[in-house]
Amino acid sequence: MSYALIIAEVRRGVFEERNLDTLGICALLGKETVLLMPDKPYTFNENMYDTIIKAKTEEEVFLNPLNIAGIIEQVISARGKPDFIILTHSSSGSESAVYMAGLFSLPVVTDVSGYDKERNIFFKSYYSDKIFGEFKSSQEGTCILTVRSGSFKEFVGEKASAPKVEFIENVSVSEARTFVEYVEEEKTDIDITKAEFLLSVGRGIGNKDEIPDYEALAGLLKAVLSGSRPVIDKLWLPKARQVGTSGKTVKPKVYLAMGISGAFQHIAGMKDSDCIIAVNKDAEAPIFQYAHFGIVADIHKVRDKLKNILAG
Amino acid sequence: MNLLVFTKRVPATQEEELRIVDDGKAVDLSKVPFKVNDWDNYAVEEAVQIAEKTGGTVTAISIGDKESDEVLRRAIAMGAKDGFLIEKEEILHDPGVRAALVNNFLKKEGIAYDAIFTGVQSEDDQFAAVGGILAAKLGIPYASMVIGIDAVEKDHLIARRELEGGLQERVKITSPCVLAIQSGINEPRYVSIMGIRKASKVERKTYKGADYSENANNSIEVVRWVYPPKKGAATMLTGELDEVCKQLLGVLKEKGVYQ
Ligand SMILES: Cc1cc2nc3c(=O)[nH]c(=O)nc-3n(C[C@H](O)[C@H](O)[C@H](O)COP(=O)(O)OP(=O)(O)OC[C@H]3O[C@@H](n4cnc5c(N)ncnc54)[C@H](O)[C@@H]3O)c2cc1C
Ligand SMILES: Nc1ncnc2c1ncn2[C@@H]1O[C@H](COP(=O)(O)O)[C@@H](O)[C@H]1O
Repeated sequence: MSYALIIAEVRRGVFEERNLDTLGICALLGKETVLLMPDKPYTFNENMYDTIIKAKTEEEVFLNPLNIAGIIEQVISARGKPDFIILTHSSSGSESAVYMAGLFSLPVVTDVSGYDKERNIFFKSYYSDKIFGEFKSSQEGTCILTVRSGSFKEFVGEKASAPKVEFIENVSVSEARTFVEYVEEEKTDIDITKAEFLLSVGRGIGNKDEIPDYEALAGLLKAVLSGSRPVIDKLWLPKARQVGTSGKTVKPKVYLAMGISGAFQHIAGMKDSDCIIAVNKDAEAPIFQYAHFGIVADIHKVRDKLKNILAG
Repeated sequence: MNLLVFTKRVPATQEEELRIVDDGKAVDLSKVPFKVNDWDNYAVEEAVQIAEKTGGTVTAISIGDKESDEVLRRAIAMGAKDGFLIEKEEILHDPGVRAALVNNFLKKEGIAYDAIFTGVQSEDDQFAAVGGILAAKLGIPYASMVIGIDAVEKDHLIARRELEGGLQERVKITSPCVLAIQSGINEPRYVSIMGIRKASKVERKTYKGADYSENANNSIEVVRWVYPPKKGAATMLTGELDEVCKQLLGVLKEKGVYQ
């Protein structure tokens, strides 16, 4: 029987929402869905899967590419090769996916955000979402995929009957890489997730010296200043101000993005804002696909003009 | 500690209008400037800092056409001792092929290392895959999204991996290993034109990709390139700058965030 093996993304006892996307693409692919997860109490709708395989091991052991490969070998020796091994395109999902691709010499397409059933083609983002590549595997057999969060969840549905549950009893644990501890982000006084109005700046501001002028504009607008990852990486703004998958998820009334291109990791952190306004000199910038209002212009000029109007 | 670090030459497409040509077979990059992959800049800096601390050397590796030599020279200007260019004229999109080439290269040339650093992802291909595939092929451990290296010991490293939403995890990983370095881990040093010019004088060998192509076959292929599906259309505010800004303030008032 042809099946797809879904590797659950779990973290500190939570069955991540992103697992709906790995399930959703399975529904499109029309495969029997076999979920692999640690044998721990997670809350989720089990009736959406045909089979659930629970590996008797700790979550941190499961979330390690060296260990998951061994678990999957056990699944394959019991059930035969899957048509697909599917993971979320998250920090741990993508890490395990590519390691397995190397270990088992399998094709891998990462960050898949679309599937064309008729042509059996996967869409993958290139050049920060300016172009998509249509990919297919060039060989028979198992293909590994990681899927972009939010791309396929609308295709999920419940099965007619409850899933079969199976167990993997013995999991071997690699000594070559071991979990030590979690490290939490430091708490700071500014919480951008609470702001109603965010003025968010990206690499397009050019350099650190521009920050005070954007801070001044934020002050005049009574907005809070946030930024995209490069702005934080370059230490132009503190880490607590970062919007995106590896920063904060924000839902302000207004998100005013200046000089931000709209890479998926950024969009994922702000797309649910009530109103998104984007200013960018590149009319093709992907952020305009998510914005409610757009301005094609030099951000510095817009900033200075706004300051003029507001001060005058 | 002797380190190998990957560095890739990529098109700087952020501010460019990209055109698909040849019936979807290619993306026209002829007018696009090229630069070092942002993530690799952080990887090279991290490698150089560790070598400076522990003693040892850094060697940069790039797969690409002759032009890719420029990112190797840049790495040398940052402190690498040498740079290996594995020359390949055609663009290799399949990360499995790129990893296989380097795997063959390291084995055939008998290159020794204590750790291999890559960037988290290529800005153009965005696979986030080459390092992990290579690690598995070399039979050594792998960690991705490394945002801090907290300790470097004789036989292992303590690395901090970035997870989602600001959370990180600390892992212990034995060396040799492959780490994919995340942007923001350090502040990459400034590279002057003078430095790059000086680096050009370092004598180096180049290597032909064809000599390392055993089992480096495509396992995936690009059928064609397409523009992403159009989602919603933003209402564009147009006109003179003054007018556009007033419209913008109008929207802010309407949304109730500005009086
Ligand atoms: C694992 C992982 C996690 C990540 N997490 C995050 C995250 O949490 N948050 C995040 O933001 N990113 C994240 N990223 C990075 C993400 O992929 C992008 O690299 C990043 O979002 C790009 O930021 P940017 O839009 O500011 O810069 P760029 O993509 O460089 O865009 C700059 C934009 O500014 C415009 N511009 C330049 N000058 C001007 C001007 N004078 N006037 C008007 N416009 C101008 C350009 O046209 C361009 O569109 C992550 C990446 C990875 C791999
Ligand atoms: N052609 C290449 N030359 C040098 N390094 C590369 C190349 N392709 C990928 N890499 C390295 O592998 C990382 C991940 O690339 P990718 O899997 O393409 O996203 C990059 O950040 C580079 O460090």
